[in-house]
Amino acid sequence: MAVYRRSYKPYAGTLTPAWSRFLVIFRYSRKSLFRSKVQTGLFVVCFFFPIACLVMIYLAHSAGFLAKIGIPSQILSIDNSFFFRYMSVQGGLAFLLTAFAGPGLISPDLANGALPLYFCRPFSRAEYVLGKASVLVILLSAVTWIPGLLLFVMQASLEGTSWAWTNLWIAGSLILSSLIWISILSLLAMALSAWVKWRIVAGASLLGVMFFGAGFGQAINAVLRTDSGYFFNLGYLMATVWNALFRTDRMQVISISQAWAALLFYCGVCLWLLLRKVRAFEVIR
Amino acid sequence: MSDQITFEDVSKFYGEILGVNRVSLSIPSGITSLVGPNGSGKTTLMNLMTGLVRPSRGQIRVLGYKTDDPENLFKIVGYSTQFDAFPKGLTGFQFLYSYLRLSGADSATCERLSWQAIERVNLGEAAHRNVAAYSKGMRQRIRLAQALAHDPKVLVLDEPLNGLDPLARSEMIALFRAAAAQGCYVIISSHILHEVDVISDQVVLLSNGYVVAEGQIQTVRNEIQEHPTQIMIRCNRPRELAAKMFTSEHAIEVSIHKDERGLLLKTRDADRFYLALNELALNGIEIESIAPADDDVLSVYEYLIGNEEVVR
Amino acid sequence: MNSLWWAQIKAVIHLEFKKTLFARRGLWIYVLAALPVLLYVAFAFAVGNRQHHSERIAHRGEKQLTYQDLSAVRTGMKKDEVIALLGKPPVADHWTEERPVVGGPNVKVAHEEYHYSDGRSDLNIGIADGNVDYINLSSSNDLGQDSVMFAGVFQFFFLRLAIFFGCLGIFMNLFRGEVLDRSLHFYFLAPIRRDVLMVGKFLAGLLATCVIFLTSEILQTCAYLWHYTAAEQDLYLYHNHGLEHAAIYAGVTLLACLGYGSFFLVAGMLFRNPIAPAAVALIWEAINPFLPAVLKQFSIIYYLKSLCPVEIPVAPGTSPLFALLISNSDPISAPVAIIGILLVSAVALYISSLQVRRMEVNYTTE
Repeated sequence: MAVYRRSYKPYAGTLTPAWSRFLVIFRYSRKSLFRSKVQTGLFVVCFFFPIACLVMIYLAHSAGFLAKIGIPSQILSIDNSFFFRYMSVQGGLAFLLTAFAGPGLISPDLANGALPLYFCRPFSRAEYVLGKASVLVILLSAVTWIPGLLLFVMQASLEGTSWAWTNLWIAGSLILSSLIWISILSLLAMALSAWVKWRIVAGASLLGVMFFGAGFGQAINAVLRTDSGYFFNLGYLMATVWNALFRTDRMQVISISQAWAALLFYCGVCLWLLLRKVRAFEVIR
Repeated sequence: MSDQITFEDVSKFYGEILGVNRVSLSIPSGITSLVGPNGSGKTTLMNLMTGLVRPSRGQIRVLGYKTDDPENLFKIVGYSTQFDAFPKGLTGFQFLYSYLRLSGADSATCERLSWQAIERVNLGEAAHRNVAAYSKGMRQRIRLAQALAHDPKVLVLDEPLNGLDPLARSEMIALFRAAAAQGCYVIISSHILHEVDVISDQVVLLSNGYVVAEGQIQTVRNEIQEHPTQIMIRCNRPRELAAKMFTSEHAIEVSIHKDERGLLLKTRDADRFYLALNELALNGIEIESIAPADDDVLSVYEYLIGNEEVVR
Repeated sequence: MNSLWWAQIKAVIHLEFKKTLFARRGLWIYVLAALPVLLYVAFAFAVGNRQHHSERIAHRGEKQLTYQDLSAVRTGMKKDEVIALLGKPPVADHWTEERPVVGGPNVKVAHEEYHYSDGRSDLNIGIADGNVDYINLSSSNDLGQDSVMFAGVFQFFFLRLAIFFGCLGIFMNLFRGEVLDRSLHFYFLAPIRRDVLMVGKFLAGLLATCVIFLTSEILQTCAYLWHYTAAEQDLYLYHNHGLEHAAIYAGVTLLACLGYGSFFLVAGMLFRNPIAPAAVALIWEAINPFLPAVLKQFSIIYYLKSLCPVEIPVAPGTSPLFALLISNSDPISAPVAIIGILLVSAVALYISSLQVRRMEVNYTTE
């Protein structure tokens, strides 16, 4: 090429749609997700209970087989309580998955000074957070509402369309309860990951928030002879919301509106932490 | 006590990845430069001689001390690493002072040594600022200060001029020279070959974890038989001189310099050529200068390491 | 040589304190230790307010009542019988309820709620249609109940969570944190033996956790005794083993810091991601009561529980699982418990000293 032509020219080809750019982060973050054998193993373990539920659904419709092995068919009842229990177990496993996968999302970028590299491009903080969150959303969806919906479809196909129409709300509850829990876990994991620069400490903090919060809540209830301690127990708050969504009649100490308010408060705090920490610069005095 | 830094058949493997292999070296006092491309093993060699990593095989001794004896070793060794990270929450002064206290010295001594080191690297004004707020050059200087603070006999410096402005570079080079003049062992790794040329007493060339050559540059150059010595001659009648050189058995190749005021000669026996030049340069040819054109680090690097990369 | 090592250890401790404990990054440990103190302070305020409320109600009553008077009320008694027994209620609430009746119009039911107090205990009586419908007799706190409450919170919250996570954060970071910060080589490049360095760092962490959590434990004790009168405090502390219990809790706190600290120190050195062993330890400690006797001994909480001075009684009707959790079915003697923890710590420190000598600085693999 002639020397006078050797100059910088901006890219003149077609651009990808602006709304989809956050998926670039997802594409690269997901590659590191299954590098850890422990994480991969845990992901596989998350499917054991849905498979067991699938077997239970099948058995519930095999009265002859149950009679042969001496189990009364009334024991296996596939109803809203069944799906509530499914959600409880998978919700716990989703938390464990988040504890492994979540801390590595933002901490390494903070520790290695990568945030300025992201934000010196036409890429907003919201897109960055959305991209990172999409990793967890997709991962946790794969172990919560997606297998849950499959179970629902399986049950509907065996039970008949009238059952499906009558209980279609359970499918909606499955999706909604999963998405709420995924949102909370994602925000919490990212906020802790952004606040501490070490991935390991972020993981410990996530465990701490859950277990220490629950323990502290119990201590408050025991010492002050109140029920306010449950507001520190994220798991209990979520179970209260799930209880209402699945219309199960378990005794709840705090009302559904109080649980919602507390969860929204936690989400607000997480968003504030993210806003403070996910920046292109860090001022050190 | 030995007066050298010795590597005896030292190898270091990081799993299946080779760090250095079968390195045997004796490093005398003075300024020794470790030269090689990225990944050649320079930092590994430095980490080995300071005990930060253990050799997979072989033995290393630094002035008679084993590298797994930090209590004695680091009284005489100072190492400025490549790691651009510092303990959080400390100012420049606190950083130097606190780590000097680890030697067991009293507070007054540590304070005096800290300030001395800070003055040597010209960081007096920034000494009470948090290290995390330093610029790249300041961080490099405080690393150097940490290595120099306790007046060690052996200075191991991994790319010490990285990030420094030209004035700071010349100051540091003067400092290294002064240390070497006092009998210290200064081991430097650098990519800036013309500076290595200027300051080094000896070089160690590394490639792919092997020591390719070691010693003084001229000695190393003389041993590279496959590349004839290049000599630049500046004279008033280069073409005439070139024609005469072809009659000499020592000249392999002659090329005229583009400014027509000199010529570049290749010869396998520089000493004999110089003797022959006296006769060749008679009959009115005025010779302005004669100098080897390729006995610098860059040329040796290209011959020994650059060719390997090309072949690869 | 010993004086040199001591000087070096002191220098390491000083540096650790400056970097972590007296820095903003160490704030969370103080919060962890302060939470139970704040809880007991809130408890003292709540109890104090409740007592003032009770005294106000008692003062407004027609006659001076005793606990026996309050506990004499039964469900089904008539309103007039209640008033005859306890006098006119100093505080009374009235409301009407419309109850639906099958096959007929709604029926209005008159409700009343009477509040009585003897100055310490409160009695709430619910009256529907002139008959006692429900009784709620809440006794004031006594030191016996409060010491059991303190024991429960101490064992299940303070030891297993607060000290556990505090030690996890501090001791795990002593070496693993330096590796993540890429600053470990500064220690290794100092003329200090690596095992002396390890001892110095461990002592720094131990000193910090002991001071923080011991202070927290002492303040908790003061806070939960705060609302009692001086005479009651005196009686409890000097005549009912109160001081002895407080000293034992302090000792248990120190041993917990030692035990958990040494475990997390070695975990931080052996594992690249010490969260996995920490999670395992958390679960292991939680299920300790359900393990066979042989396996129980491989736990720090097993020894600490045996040292706690106040046993948590199992209330009748408690589920067997919960009863197993709160009771100490295989208690061991205090000397054995102390030796057990010291032994666990010594083994952990020995492994740490071996490991620190073998450590290499290779940040690129982290």
